[in-house]
Amino acid sequence: MQDVAVEDVELHRRLVGGDRGAFDELYRRYSGIAFGLARRLTADASLAQDVVHDAYMALWRAPEAYDPTRGAFRTFLLALVHHRAVDVIRREERMRARTEKAANLEPSVDEDVADAVTEESFLVVRRQQVREALGDLSPDQRQVLEMAYFGGRTQVQIAEELQIPLGTVKTRTFAALRKLRAALEETE
Amino acid sequence: MSTDHDRIQELLAGYALRALSVEDAAEADHVLDEHVPACEDCRATLAAFDGVTADLALATDPVSPPELLLARLHRDMEPRRSPRAWQAGRIVAVAASVVLIVGVTGLALTRGGGLADAQLAAADINQALAAAQEPDAETQEVGETTEVTQPDGFYLFGEDVPHPATGEVYRLWLLSGDESHYVGEFLPNEAGIVALRVVVDGEFDDVVVSVEPAASEPTSPGSPAWQSPAPAAA
Repeated sequence: MQDVAVEDVELHRRLVGGDRGAFDELYRRYSGIAFGLARRLTADASLAQDVVHDAYMALWRAPEAYDPTRGAFRTFLLALVHHRAVDVIRREERMRARTEKAANLEPSVDEDVADAVTEESFLVVRRQQVREALGDLSPDQRQVLEMAYFGGRTQVQIAEELQIPLGTVKTRTFAALRKLRAALEETE
Repeated sequence: MSTDHDRIQELLAGYALRALSVEDAAEADHVLDEHVPACEDCRATLAAFDGVTADLALATDPVSPPELLLARLHRDMEPRRSPRAWQAGRIVAVAASVVLIVGVTGLALTRGGGLADAQLAAADINQALAAAQEPDAETQEVGETTEVTQPDGFYLFGEDVPHPATGEVYRLWLLSGDESHYVGEFLPNEAGIVALRVVVDGEFDDVVVSVEPAASEPTSPGSPAWQSPAPAAA
């Protein structure tokens, strides 16, 4: 996985120099994950397409926004996609209607998904590790995490919907991320 | 770990998930400015939480984007003359007194309102360029250090300014000490030109242009596109 991160940094370096081939390679590597994530959050293929488009255009226009000393390229790009998708669903105010579908507790299986997507092997391995780590969280921890990440809700909204104190939402979120951090750092 | 530290890292967890309320987000911004840079433990925690939250994307199955998406991106990828064209100083700020000497018309100059009443208006490109070429014009590129006294306002002019992503706009802020004052938002024209007149009466330290979602409330500056010390008064 280390090699992949190094390759990504090299691709990013070329991208800073305006290399369209590097852009295409980064698109090939991560657009499937990006689109899957955006579609799950927005529950709308057209909005998801706009989200991925805008994220990659932001990357093309300002590649210097990624600082290789601060983490993996994948982390940067997927955060960019996630942030834009959350902005879109909050702006559209369609969150409630979408959430039951989008924030289910089991990993989603889309109809037209997957087998058509050819992924790098490291992503297949990492996906399994992430799912196992999520499966090891308590149901309460997993619920708040998924409502926030895949549902695009704020912690205040989660507290209101679950009718639990805001402090409890924060504590569960913190505990969930700490547990995931420990599990995923072990397997990295 | 102290209780304070627990609370800060609890805040960082919500921050990494982009799940904070407006109030908590403001507190997180403060913590990120004041505490995190100097705290190795919190820096490591934030980096780890960022990594973990990004990996949550993998819990969802990948989906092939429509084939047309890459073609759409290729169509929209304008050539970059220089990778740093926007950051490298193609913006000039012209001291207001010079602008007044050249006689800009059609601008409502209001005085005495302080930074809170700063105004942003579209400027005539030719007049802005003419003002910049006046012998006494004080122009500065982004990144130069200049002390400010009592500016009355300035021009903001840029070429090859990229359009922000769909749904985003540039916003202009004036920073004074710990306070930020929102002035207004703008987009470059079709030719990538920005020509703005900023009317302000009051001292400030920096001019910041940020990129922010158009629908968001301008409560504090978002991701800075560039930042420059205030233009010096002539």
